[in-house]
Amino acid sequence: MSSVKSLACVGIAAFTLAIVSPAALAQRGQFGGGYGPPLKAEKPPKEFATSDEHYEYLLAQAKGGTKHTLATLPRWDGIWNTAGNTHLDAFIDGPGGLAGKVREGVLTPAYEKAYKERWRQQMEKGQVDYDRLAHCEPPGMPRFLLEPYTHEFINLPTESYLINDFGPSIRRVLLGRKHANLYGTHSWYGDTIGFWDGDKLVMSTKYLYPADFTRWSPMTSNQFESVEIWQLKKYPDNVERIEVQATFYDKFAFLHPVSVEYAFRRAADLEKADYRINHWECEQSTNAYLDDKGVSNFHLPGEKGFNDARGATMFPELPGQTRDPIYNTTLTPNSK
Amino acid sequence: MTNRFKFLSAAVAAGLLVAAAAQAHHSFAMFDRNTEIVKSGTIVRWSFNNPHSWLYLNVKGEDGKETLWSFEGSAPTGLIQRGITGDTFKPGDTVTFMYCPLRDGRPGGAIGWARLDGGKYLNPADGGCNGSEANITRWEGLLKKGVTTQTQEAKAQ
Repeated sequence: MSSVKSLACVGIAAFTLAIVSPAALAQRGQFGGGYGPPLKAEKPPKEFATSDEHYEYLLAQAKGGTKHTLATLPRWDGIWNTAGNTHLDAFIDGPGGLAGKVREGVLTPAYEKAYKERWRQQMEKGQVDYDRLAHCEPPGMPRFLLEPYTHEFINLPTESYLINDFGPSIRRVLLGRKHANLYGTHSWYGDTIGFWDGDKLVMSTKYLYPADFTRWSPMTSNQFESVEIWQLKKYPDNVERIEVQATFYDKFAFLHPVSVEYAFRRAADLEKADYRINHWECEQSTNAYLDDKGVSNFHLPGEKGFNDARGATMFPELPGQTRDPIYNTTLTPNSK
Repeated sequence: MTNRFKFLSAAVAAGLLVAAAAQAHHSFAMFDRNTEIVKSGTIVRWSFNNPHSWLYLNVKGEDGKETLWSFEGSAPTGLIQRGITGDTFKPGDTVTFMYCPLRDGRPGGAIGWARLDGGKYLNPADGGCNGSEANITRWEGLLKKGVTTQTQEAKAQ
């Protein structure tokens, strides 16, 4: 009986910790909160019909923007990790964490129906069966704003580079430019223009592929557009946090514009560990696939379709052609 | 008693599902996170790779035959923050580990925790299995009683 009580304590503690942690540490929406004060999405000063209107309003408010030089540009050096967001607050009613119900009246009927199915899977199975990233699709926008792995942000007088090592994914923010679509199509990161308003980087993004916020969040259409305001803030205990106030426009997915706050924190722990970002390619090293039931699964060594991330190249007969030169291991399924 | 155990196990699992749901670029639907099993094996390869790390081990079956097992862990970024790097698990070393199996019964799963030869516990887990300190502490107690599966744990109550 006492062991049952012990198990009960462990169970309740684990359950409580698990329930509390997403909400308290990461805020709803997840991916590493707990650095700095709670995030709170700010709506634009008024509702705009389009992202263009919104962006032009901000540009006029900033009187054409601040012309920074290399000496005056805000520096966002170092390695950054995602540090929470409020995106589920825009779509879910309820107690926080991955709980609650899909809020009605936010998404269009077609997107709301699709999202309710994702949310049903999340609630009933604890998992959404399918995630497009498992097939090595880039995070794209808006998922770039909350996808983990490591980020770097490089500000130059005419352009900023927002980088995630997943992909790698690079958003190029062209300063003082107008939107252009020379390819005549859309893409994962579209076209981003921007300007500085003091230490705030204001940007507009359009011409995006259909994507999603995450697998347990709504999908977005090829008419998704964003206006974002990025700003570095500093808090006690050496917390440096880049806070992103974003408003999203999507005539196919949203009934009204949606505002969300995201954050990235300076990954001082990774820098202290001498971490450096290596280039990697998802297609070389992932073994996830979608099975015939529409559920993600893995190829294992010896199975057709298995990618041996550290195996030999196309030229195994030559010396030095394995990608595991230090330990030089070989995967032999069901060996010996 | 059995019902209480089932309820508590479900509660633990449900909580962990919630906590873990957001960690990876893929769904964890392929893993049975309600089941935790402890085994030992010999390391064949530690693939400290993105988007996820994989630990490959030879595990001896009841018939004495060794089979290659594959276990998914977290991404290097997360693991480095837990003190785990590309040379933490060395080929040829033996390791005791807890995992949540693939639902389809193939030899693999999501890694929970791992115990090195010297007795040090590590948490290489992603959201597919629970490698938390609390769960390591729980399993330390169970292992002292000779328990290596949740089925045995239930019987021991």
